[in-house]
Amino acid sequence: MRAQHLITYPRNLHPGAWWLWALGLAAAASRTQNPVPLLLILVVTGFVVAARKSDAPWAKSYGAFLKLALIIIAIRIVFQAVLSSGSQGPTVLVTLPELPVPGSTGIKLGGVISLEAVLRAFYEGLQLATILCCVGAANSLGSARRLLRSVPGALYEVGVACVIALTFAPQLVTDAARVRSAHRLRGHSSRGFGSLKRLAMPVLEGALERSVELAAAMDSRGYGRTTDETRVSRRLTGALVFGGLLGICIGVYGLLSGTSVSWMGLPMLVAGCLLGAVGMSVGGRRTGRTKYRPDPWAAPEWLVTGCGLAAAVTMFVSVETDPTSLFLVSVTAVPPVPLLACAGILLCLLPAVLAPPLPRSTATKATGAAELVGVAR
Amino acid sequence: MIRFDHVSLTYADALKSRAPVLRDVNLSIPEGELCLVIGRTGSGKTTLLRAINGLVPHFSGGTLSGRVVVNGRDTKDHRPRDLADVVGFVGQDPLSGFVTDTVEDELAYGMESLGLPPDVMRRRVEETLDLLGLAELRNRPLTDLSAGQQQRVAIGSVLTTHPRVLVLDEPTSALDPLAAEEVLATMQRLVHDLGLTVVLAEHRLERVVQYADRVVLVPGDGRPVRDGPPTSIMQDSPIAPPVVELGRVVGWRPLPLSVRDARRRADPVRAQLAGLEAPARPSAHGAAGNEAEALSPVALTEQLVAGYNNVPVLKGISTSLRPGEVVALMGRNGSGKSTLLKTLVGMKRPTSGQIRVDGRAPATLRPSQLLRHVGLVPQVPADLLYAHTVALECEQADRDAAVSAGTTLGIFERLSPDVPAGQHPRDLSEGQRLTLALAIILAARPALVLLDEPTRGLDYTAKHRLVEILHDLAREGRCVVLATHDVELVAEVASRVLVIADGELVADGPTADIVVSSPAFAPQVAKILSPQRWLTPTDVATALAEVTEVTQL
Amino acid sequence: MKATHLIPLRGRSSLALGTVSVIGLAAFGWPFLTDPGSALDSSHAGDAPLLFVAILPLLAAIVLAELTSGEMDAKSVAMLGMLSAVGGALRALGPGTAGLEPSFAIIVVGGRVFGRGFGFVLGALTIFSGALITGGVGPWLPFQMMAAGWLGFFAGCLPRATGRMEILWLAGYASISALLFGLVMNLWFWPFASYGPETSFVPGDPFAANLFRYGVFYLTTSLIWDLGRAVISLLVIGLAGSALLRALRRASRRAAFDAPVVFER
Repeated sequence: MRAQHLITYPRNLHPGAWWLWALGLAAAASRTQNPVPLLLILVVTGFVVAARKSDAPWAKSYGAFLKLALIIIAIRIVFQAVLSSGSQGPTVLVTLPELPVPGSTGIKLGGVISLEAVLRAFYEGLQLATILCCVGAANSLGSARRLLRSVPGALYEVGVACVIALTFAPQLVTDAARVRSAHRLRGHSSRGFGSLKRLAMPVLEGALERSVELAAAMDSRGYGRTTDETRVSRRLTGALVFGGLLGICIGVYGLLSGTSVSWMGLPMLVAGCLLGAVGMSVGGRRTGRTKYRPDPWAAPEWLVTGCGLAAAVTMFVSVETDPTSLFLVSVTAVPPVPLLACAGILLCLLPAVLAPPLPRSTATKATGAAELVGVAR
Repeated sequence: MIRFDHVSLTYADALKSRAPVLRDVNLSIPEGELCLVIGRTGSGKTTLLRAINGLVPHFSGGTLSGRVVVNGRDTKDHRPRDLADVVGFVGQDPLSGFVTDTVEDELAYGMESLGLPPDVMRRRVEETLDLLGLAELRNRPLTDLSAGQQQRVAIGSVLTTHPRVLVLDEPTSALDPLAAEEVLATMQRLVHDLGLTVVLAEHRLERVVQYADRVVLVPGDGRPVRDGPPTSIMQDSPIAPPVVELGRVVGWRPLPLSVRDARRRADPVRAQLAGLEAPARPSAHGAAGNEAEALSPVALTEQLVAGYNNVPVLKGISTSLRPGEVVALMGRNGSGKSTLLKTLVGMKRPTSGQIRVDGRAPATLRPSQLLRHVGLVPQVPADLLYAHTVALECEQADRDAAVSAGTTLGIFERLSPDVPAGQHPRDLSEGQRLTLALAIILAARPALVLLDEPTRGLDYTAKHRLVEILHDLAREGRCVVLATHDVELVAEVASRVLVIADGELVADGPTADIVVSSPAFAPQVAKILSPQRWLTPTDVATALAEVTEVTQL
Repeated sequence: MKATHLIPLRGRSSLALGTVSVIGLAAFGWPFLTDPGSALDSSHAGDAPLLFVAILPLLAAIVLAELTSGEMDAKSVAMLGMLSAVGGALRALGPGTAGLEPSFAIIVVGGRVFGRGFGFVLGALTIFSGALITGGVGPWLPFQMMAAGWLGFFAGCLPRATGRMEILWLAGYASISALLFGLVMNLWFWPFASYGPETSFVPGDPFAANLFRYGVFYLTTSLIWDLGRAVISLLVIGLAGSALLRALRRASRRAAFDAPVVFER
């Protein structure tokens, strides 16, 4: 068995597998507002991120997303409990002094704050927060930059442009710092709006000149050398893609309009999406371009994706077969525990061990020395 | 391998003149040669190199008459991307040519575009890493590497496609001498071991002319391009390294190209020059020419410690800089030269110790006050320029320095005549940009003028102009400090040399004392004529002229 | 002055752009387009926003692929990448400045100098690379990409003008479109933000009532940010617009995008 299939062999998991896992959990979270499975999903994502996150700077994004999620819940509670009079219920928690608000829009400032309003805001916010945390986990674990290496051929130019943008953005920041410190040499202080223009122009002009140099280097090294697709395959891709777009159009129209012809809604949408996706992956296939050491998709990737899929599937099945366990009878009732869905979610803890451990990088803090050399040069 | 048949090139751009950049070039470079292309800035060297690759005219637009054939492929029918497996092109700034993040991916990029199978790619990446000594850097991000390492990665990234021709446009211009030696040694190895044809454009010929099998001189202005063996082209080339100039002054035939060749013939010359003294460099004096001792120093440092966060770069520098002298600051990369300059300008606060410029601590001066006391031309002079014409830039400098209108433009025109005032500053040549930055700094008449690596990318003509400008500044009574690696420049212009190593001052004295016996800092003439203390061919020429005068009397 | 069209809009790419824009408008504005009695009505109203979040990435990918695939040479790709780097770095400056979007000036000027198609792709990729740099790829991203793409597209559609008229056009366009960007992005977020029945989307209600509620929601939440963004865009283009245009046009000349290549014997 090749080393990549072993879950103990240290390497980076294909980022697509992490994204699919996270999207499975997010799909599961989108079906319910029952706090039990939602909190479970939060715990699962937090645990897996802590177990498998790397040292790269973007791995901290889970924390940022979590903070954003908590802020959303807090804002929602504030708006619904404090500012909205329509969502209050019978059980009063506290009564604040009320400020009169002109007009009759139903907004109040202060006044009665009820338990029902707080709980309802919390549960609704929790769903959104959980979805955000799943996306944050995907960001932390599956770096979108590495995903750029695996784009389909149709998006090759976009991928190259993004790689260029990511490569040069830090250099632009360094240039800006250097230009800013040079302001002093001309007698300007580095404050004020005028200094922004003095900062922006050299950096921008330098960037534009560099882009021409870069294009010359790319051209010299064979960019765009591969043969373009044949007419037939272009027509085929076009047919698939535009057929897909048409399907999506009809599907969206069907969903939004009042007519209830069953095939015009969701099924058409799904079919359109599938056609479009197939068209994208088939099209733009360039003969003659190869990939150097692409990220492998081996057994651990399948397992991790499978866990995410299991969570989504068990949740969907629970919604169909056992809806009472997923929906709250009333806001203040004790939430029920849906066993099947929770089992599926707990399965998603497995990637913490199924995903291979991260390789220990041998090139450690050479950045310290390089900083000295680069700066003192 | 490379053949130019009656090639004339004209750019379509309205900015460049309608006259052809290259006229009727006939050139034939056989396989396995190292061919050196020399010429002044703007003479058309870059156009010639880019024509080999097809970048001119396919990429830049323009008209090509005649034929350029590389390894049997005519550039008329083959675009640069079609020639990627035959010609590898490396530009001046390696960082601008990098498409990916890490060393390994960069080496593989060219092969991906060519569609090579993955196992071939893997093998070639490993071979190239070994060939260029990059094996332990394979996973490093490209921005973390030093300039020399980046240049080697750039060369490696075009070598992986196994081209037959390697074209390099000023590969060592941004490198310090050690890194430049590494890159040139690598190229020697490629030519001799792999049989590549290497075509190389360079300004600093000292390091490379001895390795060249053929020299192509591009005089510019559409005059005919000459090529031939180095000794014959160097006879009357306007661009020549100091060893060749010395050979011309002394009358050696055939001309020596390296220090070793010259030294073997140097005994008679040493005998002739015995007992003579080299003319003095401008040393410390006031504007009226009074002696150094009586003058107060322009800048003074005492036990200066400065650096970053908790890492001191300067560890106790004590020195004084007097008016009228030109001081060269030398040392390897990372030793603290730039940090010292930045502390003198107040861009860095000293951690401890004293620093005074014109009696004030520079870090406490507001920028508008700073201009009158000290000015620094940074490593990248374009950092100072942000207007879109030279005239606007000068007007802004007049306002900043609170001097009468037209001062800066006047200074600039004196330093660099024949530059239209409506030109965009970034369209100027390197030397002209440097003089524009210098003119802006000089508008406020500072007593201390600092330059950080001014000769990067300058050709010999521009360097000579710079030397004259610096002599004039010193004669006016200012103090000029240059941080540089260029030992030839130091030999020509500096009266005093400070050597910084590991944050401390290890040498401080007159130029001749410091550089003559040092293997790292000695100019070519000093190496040839040591133990006598001669620094430049001009000195030797003046002394020999005196000798002949004396003998004629 | 004749504009360089780095990404020409031919039949196929225009069709793709048009179709995706129509679906995109539905994705943003579905609360106002839902007929009573449709599938997305009361019972499934919670699903609708998530449905559109799911399909919009595919749509964004399709339109970007159709616009760029096979059309761009190394110079255009490098210019696109570099301008996205500038815009992305500006977006990554910090959460405070990101709300005020200094990168819009780059998108507008880029669309103006290099054409409509380029403007669309530049807008989308600026947002995308900003997200990649900060590590924050969220469900809002495809929506922001579409909106910024429209921003760049319409910047390329502004009428021919030179000198101060051009700056006036661009500054006015930038401020209005910054406001519209905020309006549209807020519209996207509105169904997620059920802050009580006074300001949130009530599926099944008549159009006017929902519109009123959206108005209240907009005034209380995002108007300040949007006005700030509009003012910043106006200031940046007003003060630095001519310099930006000049720099991009000079780069366009130096890159020789359309320069003729002639071989003589």
